[in-house]
Amino acid sequence: MKEILRVEDLTFQYPGADERVLENVNLKINEGDFVAIIGSNGSGKTTLCKTFNGLIPHYHVGDFEGRVIVGSDDTTQTSVSKLAQRVGYVYQNFEEQLVRPTVYDEVTFAPLNFGFKDYKKRGQAAIELLGLEPIKHKFIWELSGGQKHLVALAGVLALDPDIIIIDEPVAQLDPANAIEIYEKLKYLNEEHGKTIIVIEHHTEFIGDYCKSVVMMGRGYVAWHKPVKQALSRIDELREKNIFPPQVTQAAYELSVSNDTYPINLDEGLDYFSDISKPSFTTARRHRFTKKIDIEPVITFNNVKHSYRTLSKDKRVALNNLNISFYEGDRVALIGNNGAGKSTLLKMITGLIKPSQGDAIVCGNNTRQISSEDLAEEVTYIYQNPEEMFISDNIRQDIEYYLKSRNEENLDEFVDQIIETLGLEELQDRDGRLLSGGQQRRASLAIGTAMKPSVILLDEPTASLDIVSRKEMLNMIEKLEEWVKTVIVATHDMQLVSDWADRIIVLNEGEILKDTDQYGVFEDGELLSKTHIKPPQILELSRRLKMTPIALSVEEFVNRLGGEEVEAI
Amino acid sequence: MKLFSDLIAKISVETIKMELMKTAYGTDDTFLSKLDSRILIVWYLIFAILPWLFFNKTIIIGLLLFMIVMASMSKVSKLIVALLSFSLIAEFSSIFIVSYFFGGGVESIGPLILLSTKLVIIALASISIFTSMDPEKFSDALLSFGLSGRYCFGVSYGYRILPLLFEEYNNIFNSFRLRGKMPEQKGFLGWRSIYYYLKIIILGFYPMILNTAKRIRTTVEALELKGFTYSLDNEEVKKLKLSYMKVGKQDILFLASSICIVAIIITIGKIYPL
Repeated sequence: MKEILRVEDLTFQYPGADERVLENVNLKINEGDFVAIIGSNGSGKTTLCKTFNGLIPHYHVGDFEGRVIVGSDDTTQTSVSKLAQRVGYVYQNFEEQLVRPTVYDEVTFAPLNFGFKDYKKRGQAAIELLGLEPIKHKFIWELSGGQKHLVALAGVLALDPDIIIIDEPVAQLDPANAIEIYEKLKYLNEEHGKTIIVIEHHTEFIGDYCKSVVMMGRGYVAWHKPVKQALSRIDELREKNIFPPQVTQAAYELSVSNDTYPINLDEGLDYFSDISKPSFTTARRHRFTKKIDIEPVITFNNVKHSYRTLSKDKRVALNNLNISFYEGDRVALIGNNGAGKSTLLKMITGLIKPSQGDAIVCGNNTRQISSEDLAEEVTYIYQNPEEMFISDNIRQDIEYYLKSRNEENLDEFVDQIIETLGLEELQDRDGRLLSGGQQRRASLAIGTAMKPSVILLDEPTASLDIVSRKEMLNMIEKLEEWVKTVIVATHDMQLVSDWADRIIVLNEGEILKDTDQYGVFEDGELLSKTHIKPPQILELSRRLKMTPIALSVEEFVNRLGGEEVEAI
Repeated sequence: MKLFSDLIAKISVETIKMELMKTAYGTDDTFLSKLDSRILIVWYLIFAILPWLFFNKTIIIGLLLFMIVMASMSKVSKLIVALLSFSLIAEFSSIFIVSYFFGGGVESIGPLILLSTKLVIIALASISIFTSMDPEKFSDALLSFGLSGRYCFGVSYGYRILPLLFEEYNNIFNSFRLRGKMPEQKGFLGWRSIYYYLKIIILGFYPMILNTAKRIRTTVEALELKGFTYSLDNEEVKKLKLSYMKVGKQDILFLASSICIVAIIITIGKIYPL
């Protein structure tokens, strides 16, 4: 196979930094490969990728030694504008990459800048390649996150690059959109011979789509292996806080001695239906029971809400909603974008009032109380934590609510929260300068310090890597000591299956199902209707016809082993 | 000050955002929007200067009528008209109060009305032009007048990120609202509440500026990769970018007939001065 990219003894240090980000990196990538780059946070993945298109050393100047060769050109001898036409880059925060008002303008922008006479044709080709024709003339700000990501990719494709680098696509997208992006990448890879490089934490996607894996240690390439061998190195991956696909983990737990394990759902199905047909044990279901004898914390009576769009159409966000939430509920709201999750949350805060019907929150009708007063009972934690940082540092942010109410002895209480959420070291820093996981924890702390009865979380685990996600889950569990009811709107099915005890599936403003894990993840029809993608192990056990399905790798392994365990 | 908070709740940020974006991008079907943007800018400049050259009331009234017709032809949004009237009334009364205190008396109303009418003419001219011309065309027109590429890009990018900034500001503003506390004593005419709201309206901008500054780093890098810097010093690219702009028969006709109308207005004004 032809080589398309070679890195030789590359060492790089950012100006003013104490350590080298890259140290003696050697790597070869062949044409037509679909490579995943993995490694812990701070291992230099993004920095390495920025040397491929010449941003390093041309744009980010620093101490650069060694060589990077794209095709046959040395990147130090080639300009960024020339390299950009051969190596496309889609950023993790791709929304900031979009600079033009409409999809068509965006996609034709780069070829126009490079002075291609046929820039319109190039843009059009990229639009067709990714199936963006229906939204071609839409404004960027009208699009969903998934569509924006496709537009960013199209903008890159319009230059017809040989190599496309995508920085953490799954982190910022909901699972259905992430699958769509990966399907398009697969198509570009297989049908158009593009070399694809993804930086990815989610090994399940790697197992489904990638051909080889590059593992990075701190600033160096530890190895580059075919995907099956790579993902089967379970102990090493876990050591680096990378979690192999659940199917692989389950197979590993059941037979440690193998060299390779199944790495995706299909392989898992083959593997387990061969060895284990007769020996599933059943488990008791923990049934969800409707609480009727206690006073609800929140009640919606025939709530309807609609809003106008730019073209003056009326869109129904919530339709005839009747629902109650109780003390002790751990509610997960799930459903597509536009299903009404955010509207429902904002209605509980009183920021949106129902067009019809009543929302009763902690004994108050939201129509008769201002959001300011309701904020004493209900806290809403934004999806983007940066919108909650309104003071100079985290500690002041946490204190803001208490101070504006002249609470006395707040130090002890604030210290307690800071300790619980592990923010001791960070409390004097500006929230914007923290990492994604730290920002989320800080936003939880700010919310908790408002001493609410109800806490609402909008996508609390979006764009977090798996370690920070697990941390976040622990933190959300700790919240129960402080509040009565927690409601989470999320696309993260792992969070749903690990944490929630009540799951509400919304679809086009209506409640499709009000149930528990089994009710959602065993219902094949519901799953395909709402495009919900269950965690791999749940899907595996459903396809293997385990009843009830296993909710964790541990449970799956135990039940295959024949011991009876109680389902959680 | 229940009224004030009700008002804030009623004018949803969503509505303002929609109106603004409609004004900027949403009018492709009016007569003016089909004309070349450079001609429109020249036309606007003429009407921005013209009112200052005359004290003849007939001419001023004629120009005002002409501008009202133009503005109604370009389907100016109601929000913009409301904003315009509000600022006009505020401006008029504040100048009047100042002049009254400095001994101006009631007789200052006459000249003040004349001044305000001139301002209205210019304002109407500018809104009929800018509702008919999306920021893209405006930016391209500036580019073809020879302004720097960076500046012209800034104009169009500024509009493009406006809806994002709006949403972000709204969320930050709500953070202040929900985590702060309104003063319990409203004060005389609710001045404490008004002061409180004004304070958080201003404070809300700081976090937004910081967030934007952080995000923009990616944008600048991406611009580099999209060949923006490359295009700046390249005359060929500029030509390619502007190749769609053409001054046609319609444009000349529009400019010529506008000048004719102005000439007629001036002549009538000279013959029948008020």
